[in-house]
Amino acid sequence: MQDVQKKIREEARNLLAARKVDLVIGFEKGTIPCRTSPVFVHKEDDVGKLVWNSFCEMNLATYLTKIDKNKKVAVVAKGCDSRSIVALLVEGQVKREKITVIGIPCQGMVDRRKIERKVEGEILEAEEENGKILVKGSSFEKVFKKEDYLYSSCRVCKHRNPSIYDILIGEKVKENTQVDEYADVIEYEKKSPDERWQYFEKEIGRCIRCYACRQACPTCYCEECFVDSSNPKWIDKGVDLSDLAIWHIIRAYHQAGRCVDCGSCERACPMQINLRFLTRKINKEVKDYFNFEAGLDPATPPPLATFSVEDRQDFIDSGEGVKETKL
Amino acid sequence: MRNPYLPIPVKVGRVFVESEDKTLKTLDLLFLKKEDEENFKFMPGQFCEISVWGKGEAPFGIASSPTEKGFLRFTVNRVGVVTTALHYLKEGDEVGLRGPLGNHYPVDLFKGKNVVIIGGGFAFTTLRALTKYLLDFRQDFKDITVIYGARTPGMLLYKKELNKWQRREDLKVYITVDKGDGTWQGLTGFVPTIVEKVAPSPKDAYAVICGPPVMIKFTLPKLINLGFPPERIYTSLEMRMKCGIGKCGRCNIGRFYVCKDGPVFNCAQLEKLPKEY
Amino acid sequence: MKKISKKEMNKFIQSLMADYTILAPVNIEGIFFFKPVADFQGIDGEYKNSKKPPKEVFFPQTETMFKYKDGKVESTEKVKGKRILLGVRPCDARANLLLDNVFAGEDYEDIYYTNKRENTIIIGLACNEPSSTCFCSSFGGGPFSKEGLDILLIDIKDSYLVDTVTDKGGKILTGEFKEATDKEVKLAEKIKNEAEKKIKSRIRIEGIKEKLDAMFDDPFWDELSERCIGCGICSYLCPTCHCFDIQDEAKNSQGRRVRNWDSCMFPLFTLQASGHNPRPTGKERMRQRIMHKFNYFVENYKEVACVGCGRCIINCPVNIDIRKVLKKILTI
Repeated sequence: MQDVQKKIREEARNLLAARKVDLVIGFEKGTIPCRTSPVFVHKEDDVGKLVWNSFCEMNLATYLTKIDKNKKVAVVAKGCDSRSIVALLVEGQVKREKITVIGIPCQGMVDRRKIERKVEGEILEAEEENGKILVKGSSFEKVFKKEDYLYSSCRVCKHRNPSIYDILIGEKVKENTQVDEYADVIEYEKKSPDERWQYFEKEIGRCIRCYACRQACPTCYCEECFVDSSNPKWIDKGVDLSDLAIWHIIRAYHQAGRCVDCGSCERACPMQINLRFLTRKINKEVKDYFNFEAGLDPATPPPLATFSVEDRQDFIDSGEGVKETKL
Repeated sequence: MRNPYLPIPVKVGRVFVESEDKTLKTLDLLFLKKEDEENFKFMPGQFCEISVWGKGEAPFGIASSPTEKGFLRFTVNRVGVVTTALHYLKEGDEVGLRGPLGNHYPVDLFKGKNVVIIGGGFAFTTLRALTKYLLDFRQDFKDITVIYGARTPGMLLYKKELNKWQRREDLKVYITVDKGDGTWQGLTGFVPTIVEKVAPSPKDAYAVICGPPVMIKFTLPKLINLGFPPERIYTSLEMRMKCGIGKCGRCNIGRFYVCKDGPVFNCAQLEKLPKEY
Repeated sequence: MKKISKKEMNKFIQSLMADYTILAPVNIEGIFFFKPVADFQGIDGEYKNSKKPPKEVFFPQTETMFKYKDGKVESTEKVKGKRILLGVRPCDARANLLLDNVFAGEDYEDIYYTNKRENTIIIGLACNEPSSTCFCSSFGGGPFSKEGLDILLIDIKDSYLVDTVTDKGGKILTGEFKEATDKEVKLAEKIKNEAEKKIKSRIRIEGIKEKLDAMFDDPFWDELSERCIGCGICSYLCPTCHCFDIQDEAKNSQGRRVRNWDSCMFPLFTLQASGHNPRPTGKERMRQRIMHKFNYFVENYKEVACVGCGRCIINCPVNIDIRKVLKKILTI
């Protein structure tokens, strides 16, 4: 980790000194334990702010659509972040020559909320060393093995190495090819409609329409989100369950073929809603129907933006009744 | 205590299309309840929030003077959901009204002084209210000058009234258009240019100016050059508003809420505010 | 000072349910919400503070203002029944007083808000263990502050000391209340002093308004707003933020007018029908938020619109820390 951090600072310094980029977007130390904060480094003197650790959880690709697109930007990217960058490239939202991807093979990020639930009281200090997280409070000191406390998105991640990079920092890591990433989706599908609705209502009912999920997501970049449209007014702006439900369902649909399952939405959500369970189902369907995963190949357009004659058609009602689709 | 968010019922009276492209319509609203009419006391410069049931609410400056009894006049520019709905209304349709809201032009300060009224485009609404008011108390004010410009002759508001005013001896009226048509006999030129030409004297005078931001931006320096001090130049600010009573935060600039502490401000006050309007 | 054992407290609260709706902190998936309870079993030992501030009890996130049908308007301003809000922290109680300036001020009374304020008795819970993100004492508050409360409970392990702050609170204290012993009162004092010492975050806010007056065009705002992703978490979870939107939800001409929380951090907040937006980018909006809370609000009401509860710090997805922001402003 320390090595990687050192190299990130070196590369950032070189890029800024040689004027190859106008700014470097990376992570800096947070003001509270177990956190980091995105940092925008404009000057070589500030590269010392950049850090790398298992709390670098945010997907920095989200800034690529928020900043001035004429600037040359270097961005620190984990496996999932780099896939978001590919998704943005494929949709023409960023220019390849304007971005320098500092790719970092990732072993997963630590879910601080899981650790918080396992200690009695507030965490006042946190340190990371050799795959272990040491946390201290006013009345406790505990050590956790990092690999047991990863984010749920990291545990099923099959693309830890960046799919795109200009600079690679650190050794490539072994991919977790054995994990059955959609096991939980398949389990969930076995539930009855009533059970599923109950779960959905319980989760989505906590939503406060803060839109942190939308803002943190790199592929949510619409200048006018459908929730803000007043003519036509698609949904209302309050927290009535019907509006909450439609907001999340439509956002999940808009992510079809574009979501890289980085988990940023879930991590940003203050109400800790399980936001990925809808998008993962849609990701699974996209994979099954079109054999496509977002963010792996900058040359392949996303399935919902193209059409091929070989596409499945068995879900189209030709008048003889819809044939049941087995997935 | 009356709920300040609850509209009172009013109905549409006379509807008049002002502009040739039909985007500007004037609606007169009549109170349905006698006591609402009696309790509604307002001054030129104030505004109301008009509710179209099922569509929403929007703020509009009152274009009629309190001396005109029996109705409230509003001119509506069709740009969005509520204004489009207002454009579809006919005589007799019912809507809701909240008001009077905001502050008003300081007519007490104008007593015994000269008043220069400068308007551009469809921002002339509250200036009509002000001019009518001054004319109805003509003896209280000295010289009254009105300078009003629009893009084309067809876009001028209150054409009949402007004609009447031009024929009066007790006020000077200068109507200008950016671009004339074949039949236009009046002045041509942007409002700032005409203000410079007319060169109203700043001595014992107040100026009131309402118009699109670009017009104000170029006219203000002309007035300053003529010698008008900023505290004697008044304007009406436009901001996005919702509650109209200084609670929802939308129209907050500096320490003011445009809906409650404004919309009428003088330029000395504006100079101290952040340029976020 | 009165005292009551925790067991008796539960019974007492239960007895109040005949006349009052009790809103208490409820643990849902590890997050606390103020919700009506039918069976009160005490305040959860894990309770630090609620996720959503108790402003939502007086100023709900979604509130019907009135309904209309065929031109007839039916107002929904009256709240039915009296309520007791139990377990409010002193910072949030202070925040309600700040909100009163806006909603219950001299011009135009917001009946929806004042109605609920009048019908609600607030029982606070002193903070024996402030968090590292708490900085209430920088703004005139404190972990045992009584401002804005009707009753303050102090947890002394098996019992609560009950400090009656207002007559409104005193009226309901009929029941199994004993007098606290000197020893118990001294113990509470000790806990209070320790709690106050535990608040390590201190910010000297004197002079912040003057500093902000001079820095409207400072490049500081570009730097600050760079990392902000423009969500509404800080505004929605802040106990003193009060901006809202008014919408009509209707089919044809039958429907309701509703108000929802809104945030000055969203781009549409100041967008005018002409397309002009006085605050077009995140920089202007972030500046407006800080200016409003620490400058304009001070100018209007002589108080900073922040109570140091720390919710924005804990919940911001990009760890923008208002303490760091304020410290930076004070050194410019």
